[in-house]
Amino acid sequence: MEPVILAAEECDLTQPVCAPENVAEFFVFDTTLWNTPITRTIFLMGLAALVVIGILFVAYRKPTLIRSKFQTAIDALTGFIREDVSIGIIGPEGIKYYPYLLSIFLFILVGNLFEVTPLINFPITSRMAIPAFLAIVTYLIFVIVGFAKNGFGYLGGIVWPQSVPVAMRPLVGLIEFVSYFAIRPFSLAVRLFANMVAGHVMLSLLLVTGFVFTTSIGEVSLLKSGAGLLWFALGLGIYLFEILVAVLQAYIFTLLSAVYIQSSVHPEH
Amino acid sequence: MDAVLAVVNAATVLAQEATGITGSLNVVGYGLAAIGPGIGVGIVAGNAVQAMARQPEVAGMLRTTMFLGIAFTEALALIGFVLFFLG
Repeated sequence: MEPVILAAEECDLTQPVCAPENVAEFFVFDTTLWNTPITRTIFLMGLAALVVIGILFVAYRKPTLIRSKFQTAIDALTGFIREDVSIGIIGPEGIKYYPYLLSIFLFILVGNLFEVTPLINFPITSRMAIPAFLAIVTYLIFVIVGFAKNGFGYLGGIVWPQSVPVAMRPLVGLIEFVSYFAIRPFSLAVRLFANMVAGHVMLSLLLVTGFVFTTSIGEVSLLKSGAGLLWFALGLGIYLFEILVAVLQAYIFTLLSAVYIQSSVHPEH
Repeated sequence: MDAVLAVVNAATVLAQEATGITGSLNVVGYGLAAIGPGIGVGIVAGNAVQAMARQPEVAGMLRTTMFLGIAFTEALALIGFVLFFLG
C-alpha cells in the first residue's frame, strides 16, 4: 500500500494507516534552506502561490477579444471579484484595491481547496500564521487608508460617532474603537483558521476511523466493522461539505476585507 | 484570575468525585458557546429567506448580506472552538 499523503515522511508500509511514531516528524522535512527547515506548510504555500500565478498567467497571457474557454472561466472569477466585491462594496474607487482583493481571494481559495485535493489533504490556512498574516495586512491597509484619507477625523469619527445620541456616545465610541482596532483583525484571522482546522480534524477523524474499523474486520466484532462503514460514509459527506466551506470562507474573507476598506474610505456610512 | 482557576479546578474535581465523570470542562465550554451563534445564524438566515420571498429581484444583494451576517455570528462559535483546544 503506497503512502497516500504526498507531503509526509516515510511510512511503515506494513501498517494500514501511515503515521509516524512521533507526530513532530510531520513538521520537518529533510531539506533546509540557509538553516531554516522547509516544512510541508511552507512547501504547500509556495505551491499555492505558483498555482495562482500559473492560472492567471495562462488565462491572460494573450488576451483576445473573442475569448477562449479557459479565459472565460477565469473571467467569471475575476469579474465577480471586480464587480461584486471591489466596485460593488467599496464604490468606484474600489478598483484601486482590486489587485489585493483578487490576490487574497485566489490564494485563500487554492489554500483551502488543498484540503480536498486527493494527495494533499492539508489546508495551508489551518496553520495560524497564514490567516494571521493576511488579516494583519488587511488591518494595515484599512488603518493606513483611513488615516490617509480622513486624517485624525477618522479616529474622531470612531470614538465620537455623530449618529448616536450624546449620552451614549462615550459607550458606543469605546465599543466601536475596540471593534475596529482589535476585534476585526482577530476575528478575520480566527474565522478562517478555525473553520479550516475544524474541517480538517473532522475529516481526518471520520475517514481514518472508518477505514481502520472496516479493515480490522478479523479482529473486532462485525458490528464494529459495519459501524466503520458508517463513519466512512459520513466522512465522505463531510468531504463534500468541506468543498463548500472552503470556497465560502475564501469569499467571506475577501468580502469582509472589502467591507473594512469601505468603512475607511467612506466613514460616513 | 487565580480565583477563576480555583473555581474551575474545584468544579472539575467535584464532578469527578461525585459521579465519576472525567474529562475537562473544555467540551462543556464549547457546548455553551455554540448555543448563541446557533440561534443567531438561524435568525439571520430565516430573515434573509423571508426578505427574498417578499422581493425576489434583490435576492442577489440579500444573499451577499446574509453571508456577511452569517460570518459575523459564526465567528463567536469558532472562537469558542479554538478555546476548546487551548483550555
